[in-house]
Amino acid sequence: MTMPEILKPLKTWEHLSGARRKPSEYEIVSTNLHYSTDDQNSPFELDPNFDIALWFKKYRNESPIKHPDWNSFRDPDEIVYRTYNLIQDGQEAYVFGLLDQFSDREHDKALSPSWVALLGRLYTPNRYLFHSLQMHSAYICQMAQASTISNCATYQTADHLRWLTHTAYRTAELAKVHGAAGFGLNEKNRWLSDPAWLDIRELVEKALVAWDWAESFVVLNLIVKPSIEGATIRSLGESARRNGDTLLGLLSDAQLVDASRHQKWSRALVKKMLEQDENREQLRVWIRKWMPLAKAAINSYCQYLVEVPDAAERSIATVEEFHASLGL
Amino acid sequence: MTILDRSEWYDIARETNWTPTFVTEEELFPEVMTGGLGVTRDKWEKYDEPYKTSYPEYVKIQREKDAGAYSVKAALERNKLFETADPGWISILKSHYGGLALGEYAAMSAEARMTRFGPAPGMRNMATFGMLDENRHTQLQLYFPHEHCSKDRQFDWAVKAYHTNEWAAIATRRMVDDLFLGRDAISIAIMLTFAFETGFTNMQFLGLSSDAAEVGDYTFSSLISSIQTDESRHAQIGGPALEVLIANGKKAEAERMVYQGIAGAWRLFCVLTGPSMDYNTPLAHRKHSFKEFMQEWIIGQFERSLIDLGLDLPWYWDKLVAEFDYMHHAYQLGLWYWRPTIWWNPAAGVTPDERDWLEEKYPGWNDTFGKCWDVIIENVVAGRMDKTYPETLPILCNMSQLPICAIPGNGWNVKDYPLEYQGRTYHFNSEIDRWMFQQSPERYRDHMSLVDRLLAGQIQPPDIGGILKYMNIAPGECGDDAHKYAWADAYRVNPFSKSAA
Repeated sequence: MTMPEILKPLKTWEHLSGARRKPSEYEIVSTNLHYSTDDQNSPFELDPNFDIALWFKKYRNESPIKHPDWNSFRDPDEIVYRTYNLIQDGQEAYVFGLLDQFSDREHDKALSPSWVALLGRLYTPNRYLFHSLQMHSAYICQMAQASTISNCATYQTADHLRWLTHTAYRTAELAKVHGAAGFGLNEKNRWLSDPAWLDIRELVEKALVAWDWAESFVVLNLIVKPSIEGATIRSLGESARRNGDTLLGLLSDAQLVDASRHQKWSRALVKKMLEQDENREQLRVWIRKWMPLAKAAINSYCQYLVEVPDAAERSIATVEEFHASLGL
Repeated sequence: MTILDRSEWYDIARETNWTPTFVTEEELFPEVMTGGLGVTRDKWEKYDEPYKTSYPEYVKIQREKDAGAYSVKAALERNKLFETADPGWISILKSHYGGLALGEYAAMSAEARMTRFGPAPGMRNMATFGMLDENRHTQLQLYFPHEHCSKDRQFDWAVKAYHTNEWAAIATRRMVDDLFLGRDAISIAIMLTFAFETGFTNMQFLGLSSDAAEVGDYTFSSLISSIQTDESRHAQIGGPALEVLIANGKKAEAERMVYQGIAGAWRLFCVLTGPSMDYNTPLAHRKHSFKEFMQEWIIGQFERSLIDLGLDLPWYWDKLVAEFDYMHHAYQLGLWYWRPTIWWNPAAGVTPDERDWLEEKYPGWNDTFGKCWDVIIENVVAGRMDKTYPETLPILCNMSQLPICAIPGNGWNVKDYPLEYQGRTYHFNSEIDRWMFQQSPERYRDHMSLVDRLLAGQIQPPDIGGILKYMNIAPGECGDDAHKYAWADAYRVNPFSKSAA
């Protein structure tokens, strides 16, 4: 046999060594980490056609959204684990500082009965919604075509647990001051049967079972999240400020910092998808398919935010402008 | 200061199950991804994770832990460990990173499966932290070896190994895919967190960490002990899942999952950790033998946790314990003999002093494994190096993907455990491996081992050159003896002292 050339050490991983610049820490620890995408016919070192292998072949490998090099995707914020904790520990210190101060000032005692009732109806049931976003993000994490996409979904999953945590915390606080209002007791019923939530719940239940990985991303990050962020976070926060609930306004703003980071990577991933022109029509098909449910969800919820009369209109417009800005 | 105690709101954050009405329960939690053996979701309301933490606590603690791990690395960057450490130790680092970094990433996907498809909210929240943990472990175990890339091409395998058909990489993928990446959420809770992380990662991480400190590699020591503190938290996802299954009449099925998890993990640790501890770690720095670690960490720990749950010991327990005496010695022979096919430089670990140690820890070693090494030593000493290299592949087990082997020499017990299934004959290393296959043949049926691929003509030309090409391993990466055969000098002086004991 002829001996091949002897490989020399490189300055970085072989797959990054073609670039003209030194790779960043982000690239060193985030790129090319999924190996189950290597053999399209057999995702795992197991039978090529047992049930979970078929799931990955059908919903990931055979997705109508194609790209020859998914591993070229980059998170525009280049978040790595240690920076994620640095950022969010700082954010949580801020939020818990707020919670501490407002509690010392007996903020909740000053809330009007009608606003307290509205919080029980439109705010605290959010924990079911936020948990569904957490679950859904975790699906995208495990099904994504590239580790750089999965990582964005991982941090997004954790961010939604963060939102759920804030909501659970506030639920317990409100229950202490307004025991008769049913905080911590009535949320599930509201979530299941209140007309303010029914259409949102229909949207997220159906979204959770959109199994194609790309459709799952589109419906969560381009439809569900922008819709509910406009309605149950931003518009509710505005309504809060108009009802003397400064705390909820500030909490909402803190969560929207996460949401805008999620939008940044979503925008980058759509851009990556649109490098293949054939993908544009399929993305539009999905947006057309899901927008009616999203609009219904926004309208049903926002009609109860009487102090923000244009909440629904603005929320829908924001979602549509987002899509337009993506070229969809 | 009026911040609520976590206990005042923790339960609210895990009351997030609801019965869907726009899709069915089965659609939302499909059997293929959730698993659970038919235990209905309402029964999972009793699931109670023993280790409780919350988002703000998590990001704070993890931020501090990372500051610790990275600052140790930065502080020690100028020490010359890489230049001065024993080459056997450097080989441990290479095999560790290549074998684990992307496996940790697969574990992140598995944690994500529990976050999406786990039937209990507490499980889903804990698995969210588990996703983050595994993300951390991947990134640490890529960032740390990356600095060595420019010194040694084999470090590229920290990220490359899982992307190749190198045989140890195939065996590692088999274990990772079978125990968690290719499993449903409930099976992951049991096989990954209960079986794999509770026992085995404890050993790889704490055992190697103590060896690392002995060798003076404080960077690696602090790195992997920091990782283990995460593992011991999220490993606790599995225990309460077992309790729910047992309480709902699924004890036998739950036991089977535990048994498969332990058996699968054992094979991998046997080939990676066993030779690391008993051959690659310099003799002066060995604290315990691999067998002693296994007895302390695995046997004691598993027996206690199985008994606590009311589970029986695996049917194969005695057979597995018996393997502590020989299986990793057999794998070590394979690793060293097939050294051009691995991405690290294995230490032979058979100087006269090391043989004395092996004989002391494993009485009878000289009479069995020692006899094979005698032949190798004779060839090395006589300069017949061609006789110390392989010409083709060994017979591989269709379960573990590792060579079928056992005790050579006077203790000979090597045996194939075949099975006919749907017209194909499968070969197994032991009754345990064959039993694993029989539990769910559909998971393994059409998989081909490296030898099956060679025989089917997928590897061309079908010689060692073609095999290396198929494995994507080339000179510059191919392993060779860690000490460049310097250990054989002792035998050159006195060739008859090889069996010192």
